[in-house]
This record gives sequence, C-alpha cells and structure tokens, in this order.
Amino acid sequence: MRAQDGQRPHRAVLAEAGTALDRAPASAGPELEGARSKVGMPRPVVLGLPASRAERAAGQVRREVVVGGWRFEVTVEDAARAALRERAGRAGGEVVGPTRLVVRAQIAGRVVSVAVRDGQSVEAGQRLLSVEAMKMENEIRAQRAGRVERVAVEPGQRVERGDELAVLA
Amino acid sequence: MSPQGRSAGPSWPFSRVLIANRGEIAVRLIRACRELGLESVAVYSDADADAPHVRAADQAVRLGPAPATESYLRADRLVAAALATGAQAVHPGYGFLAEQAAFAEACLAAGLVFVGPGPATLAGLGDKLAARRAARDAGVPVVPGTLEPARFDRAAARAHMAAVADDVGWPLLVKAAAGGGGRGMRRVEHRAELQAAMASAAHEAEAAFGDGSLYLERFIQDGRHIEVQLLGDAHGTVVALGERDCSAQRRHQKLLEEAPAPGLSPADRTQLGELAVRVARAVGLQGAATCEFLRGPDGAVWFLEVNVRLQVEHGVTELVTGLDLVHEQFRIAAGEPLSGRVLAAAARVASPDRHAIEMRLSAEDPAADFAPQPGRVTHWREPAGPGVRVDGWVGEGTLVSEAYDPLLAKILVVAEDRPAALARAARALDETEIGGLQTTLPFHRWLVREPAFRAGGISTEFVAHAWDGAVQRDAAATVALLAALAADGPLKGPDASVAVTPGATPPVVGAWAAAGRLEALEGWPR
Repeated sequence: MRAQDGQRPHRAVLAEAGTALDRAPASAGPELEGARSKVGMPRPVVLGLPASRAERAAGQVRREVVVGGWRFEVTVEDAARAALRERAGRAGGEVVGPTRLVVRAQIAGRVVSVAVRDGQSVEAGQRLLSVEAMKMENEIRAQRAGRVERVAVEPGQRVERGDELAVLA
Repeated sequence: MSPQGRSAGPSWPFSRVLIANRGEIAVRLIRACRELGLESVAVYSDADADAPHVRAADQAVRLGPAPATESYLRADRLVAAALATGAQAVHPGYGFLAEQAAFAEACLAAGLVFVGPGPATLAGLGDKLAARRAARDAGVPVVPGTLEPARFDRAAARAHMAAVADDVGWPLLVKAAAGGGGRGMRRVEHRAELQAAMASAAHEAEAAFGDGSLYLERFIQDGRHIEVQLLGDAHGTVVALGERDCSAQRRHQKLLEEAPAPGLSPADRTQLGELAVRVARAVGLQGAATCEFLRGPDGAVWFLEVNVRLQVEHGVTELVTGLDLVHEQFRIAAGEPLSGRVLAAAARVASPDRHAIEMRLSAEDPAADFAPQPGRVTHWREPAGPGVRVDGWVGEGTLVSEAYDPLLAKILVVAEDRPAALARAARALDETEIGGLQTTLPFHRWLVREPAFRAGGISTEFVAHAWDGAVQRDAAATVALLAALAADGPLKGPDASVAVTPGATPPVVGAWAAAGRLEALEGWPR
C-alpha cells in the first residue's frame, strides 16, 4: 500500500491563496530539491496541524510548512478525490456575486477606535478602525471601496483572530 | 554573601536582585546575576506564570493580571515584591519602568539600590525634551523641533503644535515625550494629517508609558540612525564604548543593529563618542546609557535622544568590546569606579577589530507590514556554532501573548570583519527553525543578502522602500507545496506534531490510522 501511495498523485492547497499543486509524493521529493535551491531556501520544516472532524473524514491532512522562515498552512489530500469534490461543487453551485466583503481581525487585541459608521461610503485604503495588540496600534483599512454595511465591534472591545470587524457591501 | 565570579569582583553591597522585567531581557539579567554570584528574584504577570524567566530565577513573585498597567508597570507592587523577598537591589531592564524617575525614586525611598541612573538623571535624560535642551546647552547639534512637552488632550497645546509645525518643517515626526522603541511616534507628511497622527500617538504613548505628552521633530531625509554606548560611574568618569548602526527599521522599530557603523572613519567615531560623552557629562550620567544620533547623507550628525538604560541591542557592543555591560551596570551600582578593562575598551573603539550584528526575531508578519502575530510556538531550533549568541526567552510550547512586545529572541553574530559577520549571520539564520507563528526570520534572510545593505550605509527609510514581503513570500510558496507533498502525502496522522524531514522515511503509522486511510482511499476512483 505504501509504495502505491507514493506513486498516487496528491493535491496540496495553500490555505490563504487557494494555490494548488498536484504531485505524487515520490516525484515531489526530487523536485523539491531543485525548487528550493532555485530560490536559495534552506530545508523546509514540515509540521502537523490539527484537522477538523470534517477534514479527517474527507481524508485531508493539514500541515504547516516553514520555508526560509515563511510559514504556510497547506492541506493535502488525494488528487482524484479533490477533483471529484470540485466537480460536485461546480454542478451544484450557485453564482455568488462579489458583493460583500467581511473584514476580519488578523490579530487578537483590543479595538481602540472605530472611524466609520454603518451606511458610510469608504474609499479603498480608508481607515476603518484601529486594533491595539502588542502595544502597537494597528490600522485596519478598507481593502476596496464600498459602503459599510455593518460595523461589528465597538471601541474597548476585545477581538480574537478571525473575528468579524466590519462588513463592506 | 560573598561574591564569586571574576577575581576582581567587588564585595557586593547587595546579594539579591529583583529583576523588574520579563521576556528575553529578564532572562539575560538573571544569567548575569548567576555569573556574578547574585541571587535573582523574578516577577511575573498571570500571562507569564510559566515563562522561562520565572523558572530561571531563584524565586518569583506574582504581580497581577496580564495587562502591563496591572503588572509590570506597577511600581508599588515591584517595590513591595523586592521588600517581601529581601532583595536589596532592583534592575529594571529596558522598557516598562526602566526610565521612570518616579520608579527609581520609589526604590531608593524603600532602601533599595536602583541599578541605573539616579532619579535626577532620569528626569534630566529620560525626559526626551529635557535631554534635547541639555544637549543644545552642551553645544551638541539637535534636530530642529519643539523643546517643550505638549498634552494633546488640551486644546491650547494642540493649537500651539499645529501653529509651530510649519516652522519645524514637513515631513515631521510626532514623538512621545516619554517614548522609546518607536512607540507613540508617527511620521506626518502633510499638515492635514497632523491632528489624527497626534491623537493616535498620544493614545499609544499613554498606553505604553502612562504619559501621552508629545513633541515635534523635523524628519531628516535619508538619515542613518547611529547611537553611542555610554557608561558612567559614581566618581564622574564617563566613557563612550563605540557606536551602533540601527538604520534597518520598519515603523520606527529597529530590526537589525550592527557595530561598528559601516563606512565611518576613526575620526567620525571619535567625534560621535565625544558628542555623546558631552551630553552624558552635562547631566551626570551614572550607569549605562545610549546617545542616539541621526547622521545625514552629508555626514552631519544631529542629537536625537538619550536612553538611560540598557538598550535592547547592547549585545553587539559587548561582542565588539569584549565587555559584559550588565556586569558593569552592577559594578557601577555597587559604587565601583569604571575598571581598567572598561577604560581600555573605550580607548580602542575608534579602530574596532571585529564586527557584530544583531537580528531581532519578532512575532511579526513581514509580508503584512510587520503586523504582530501572537500565538504558540510549536517548533523551535536556535542557531549555534562559532560566533553565534542567542538572547531569547521562547521555546517549544511558549505562548506569545498580544499583551507584550513581540520580540522572541535576538540572534547575534560576531566575526573579524563585516563581510565575515554577514556570512555568519546568513548561516545562523538558515539554521534557525520556528513553527507555530510567523516571525521576521525571512526578512533578515533577505536583508543580509541584499546588495545595498551589504554595501553598507542604508538610511532609516531603506527597509520601507526596498522590502516587498509579499513577493518574497510568494517565492517560497511552491517550495512549501512540494515539501508538504513530499513529506508523505496525506498519510500521516492529523495529530502529529513532530517535525518531518522531507524525503525521509515516513513515520510509522498506527493501526487505527492505517485502517482509516485504507477506508478513505480505496473507495475512490483512480
């Protein structure tokens, strides 16, 4: 079974960008050496990450890979299985317009100030609010122009990484 | 208790020292105590109950909840902890209360030795505006700006600052009078941004230092940040121990420091040292301090400020001079005159015979404007080998709280000259492995290979202009995907937390995992 696993294509997907790569583990190893010497990176560190019950049930494994100090979260699964799920998703999918953008906290901290109110129009790059973490004020800016559908936090409130801060329509 | 350590060690007037700090500097100070035969008392907040500095010390006292304002910034609790444990001296480290005259005063009033300058010097030099006035009075060139603190919460002060801003010139810096480490500092390009910048700087300064007073300073274009290490004893002797170049900065935070500063002549070094000593003498410095200068592209130097404490980057000076500045701080606090060893080192600094570099490894994402990345360290491997020193406080399992500054460790290297030190830095960085959170490691890997940096003499704006974290990160993405695939495919148990070397034999998989995998894979089409 193991030899067979090594030949069978797997798919690795970057958590943040959705970038995917299909390779059989047996061929990924030699290719890795070439790729990392091309960009002058030291040997990557590969660590395990906890997977959800759903991910485990789907045969997916989550890994943290650190390359030259850059930290990536990667999901690996059987390529054929991933392709099948994608087809299923497309068939049953619906068109979701690029209408709403949920702004989430990238760091845990405390909301210091909120610069916009519900219904307000904002330019791309305009400051929405500030979150204090590690003694620094971090400005959260609008990634694109739009209307503030909702501000989900208020000054003084603690937020955790991933919490919804505001919604742009 | 009789002191051990070096043969020339003093008979300490204190035998137990309270370390009024946390993180890497607390660990570094406790190490010095051990070397000098002094006992150490650590203090901690609830967030740091299991922290390495607590384990390293001889005993430890809880201060309070995680926020610094309820723990490490509580002078009353620190003094009470010292008295309760029978400590006779207090070392404040850097940051927190290190430069608060009121804290030094409270220590002295309680009969404790404060390892640092006296309250009068702290008031004179620690107050950045008083320091600017003192430097000007001592005939040292000062960056144009305001010389009196202004409370942003007072409308009259706000209006006054807006009125004088045009005279200071644009762009300018809004700075916290009580500030340091870039906190409470904002660069302002246009008049329209001034009020917002002052509001945010005052708030940050209030939170970090308990004092939101501000001042304005002209921004010197293409300047280099060069600072001079000072030591002064109780007998009126002050020496300069050479300069450090701290121009590699982002958001006014130092990222990498080196000594000596590249491209300076022995005459330049002597001049900087003399200016720094002049400022220190003017206020009667006793202890360790750093005099910061801006050096313009034309070679002109401007006094910025004096930090009357141990500096984060003191280690590079230690590696170049061979001194231990913390040892010297304790000797000065014990009333000893500066030793012949210190005086000899001071005499050599114009012509250094080695080069040292410090890289600050912080929990920040260099691809996201160095945003803080609190979290848990799941994997940690430090560099080692010839000429490498690591001053850190984290290890596998350490929780890096968002309540404190994101510095994890300082990687220092020393070699016979700058090219050798850069090569050693690159080698040490490639040995370093950290998992669980994003750090500034890839930034440093880039910087030590960057041609303009290698040529020497970058300005404080260089990093902001030249660093493109997203591009650097993208270059590593394909390698990450291949490494994840090569590790062993989707075969390893999801709870595995051990490092796997790509290309190595896959780890043994338990029977339950093997069964689950068979079930998962066999039902799918080829």
